[in-house]
Amino acid sequence: MLILFGFGMLWVTADVYTEQRNVLDQVKQSTIHRKDLNQNDFAQNLPRQAVKAEMKYQGGDFWTESRKDKVERYPCYTCHTNNPEKFKGAKEMVHGDILLDHGGADKPLSCATCHLKDNPHLFKTADTTNIDMDHSYDLCGQCHFRQKQDWIGGAHGKRVLNWAGKRVVKNCTSCHNPHSPLFQKRWPKTYSPPIDK
Amino acid sequence: MDDSKNRLNEKKFGRRTFLKRFAQAAALSSAASATGCIGLIQNNEMLQLKWKEYFKKNYRLMTPQEKEETVERLERLAKIEKHMDIQMSSQNPINGVLFGYAFNLTRCEGFMECVTACVKENNLDRQSHTQYIRIFEMEPGGMSPETGNGKYFHEVPLDNHFYMGVQCFHCENAPCIRACPTKATWKEPDGIVVVDYDWCIGCRYCMAACPYYGRRFNWSASQVPYNEITKKQHYLGNRIRPKGTMEKCTFCVQRTRAGKLPACVEACPTGARIFGNLLDPDSEIRFVLKHKKVFRLKEDLATDPKFWYFID
Repeated sequence: MLILFGFGMLWVTADVYTEQRNVLDQVKQSTIHRKDLNQNDFAQNLPRQAVKAEMKYQGGDFWTESRKDKVERYPCYTCHTNNPEKFKGAKEMVHGDILLDHGGADKPLSCATCHLKDNPHLFKTADTTNIDMDHSYDLCGQCHFRQKQDWIGGAHGKRVLNWAGKRVVKNCTSCHNPHSPLFQKRWPKTYSPPIDK
Repeated sequence: MDDSKNRLNEKKFGRRTFLKRFAQAAALSSAASATGCIGLIQNNEMLQLKWKEYFKKNYRLMTPQEKEETVERLERLAKIEKHMDIQMSSQNPINGVLFGYAFNLTRCEGFMECVTACVKENNLDRQSHTQYIRIFEMEPGGMSPETGNGKYFHEVPLDNHFYMGVQCFHCENAPCIRACPTKATWKEPDGIVVVDYDWCIGCRYCMAACPYYGRRFNWSASQVPYNEITKKQHYLGNRIRPKGTMEKCTFCVQRTRAGKLPACVEACPTGARIFGNLLDPDSEIRFVLKHKKVFRLKEDLATDPKFWYFID
């Protein structure tokens, strides 16, 4: 009798624990795509400064933050005309705030590595196609191709505001200063009190 | 026959009703003596609301209408007591959503902006310096935050160190839920482990049961400066918690159920934090799980957390 009771209890407790479904099993069995969710729940307008990326990610089209409207002296051809007025110290006066620290000591980049000399608002590629300033990920991705792959998929960079609805992500230049892309050392914003253990 | 009738009558005015009425009388008389009769008349509405609040059900047993009512009561109480217009929600989980989180160990540089954003968003107690997130400064090769320094305060990132953020991992098989004697904490269908602050008795069993130090106990109701209170609140999320209850990260339930990112993800300056729907094969979190080297903390405990660490 006791043994039977014991088995019964085991069976009941086992049942309690098998009721739990493993996360990874749930993940593997899932077939719900973003478009299947009720998108009205997340009705969301695109932010004003978003441009459609030229490629697709695993879920289709996505958008990225634009760059042109954040460049102070855009468009470049207000100064860089066909007949530029040349005067001494112009470069330092206009672009002197730019600190170029990109590519390391071995292969330092110069302005002309990325910018076209005649049309500085366009970027160079290894072949002859030019890249628009809003789509700088194509430029950066020529060297940083692994980061670009991750960025398209979603492991590098971040989304803007929403996890659901239309996918809008930060551009390379939203976070990195293109001229000195490494994050600078700084003080943390706060600190943690010690745990009493 | 008469006997049984009497018994029935007795049952109508049973132990429970008696206690309820007795408590009512006691509360009224104590309130009257404390505030004076004039105060009692003025605070009549507040007393009624508090009375109803005191006898409400566990959140999981409430009907949608009861949820609506308690939320309205709490909004009204905040208006009367603190002269504050808050918007509290009792939004249900979205079907087909299971939240998951990934943390990039290569990218985090220890700026701790996530911590300040979390404190602000979730109305955490400023006096006791409560934080749901901890960032540990780790030596290379360290895999457990116990070996890291959680109290650093210097310019970051330190050379040859990496940073590891720890918070509630929202385990699928959460030990804290089983430890709770009042069923005040449970896992919602979208995977978020939540606390019903009004059913928590503050025994802290769950705090002892959690192997990740994911839960916090408050010794007082959260003290937040008036103009810093986040007014968009959720019943299970960032509302001002009553004194003596457990609280924890809720993946910012008030934000994520509305489609927004949690405050920590939004604040992260390096993009080390990734959040999304685990059931959606197109989501970023699924990309990370598929293409990156991921691990979870203390996987041998079979707690099955929905929080992965990964390296680039």
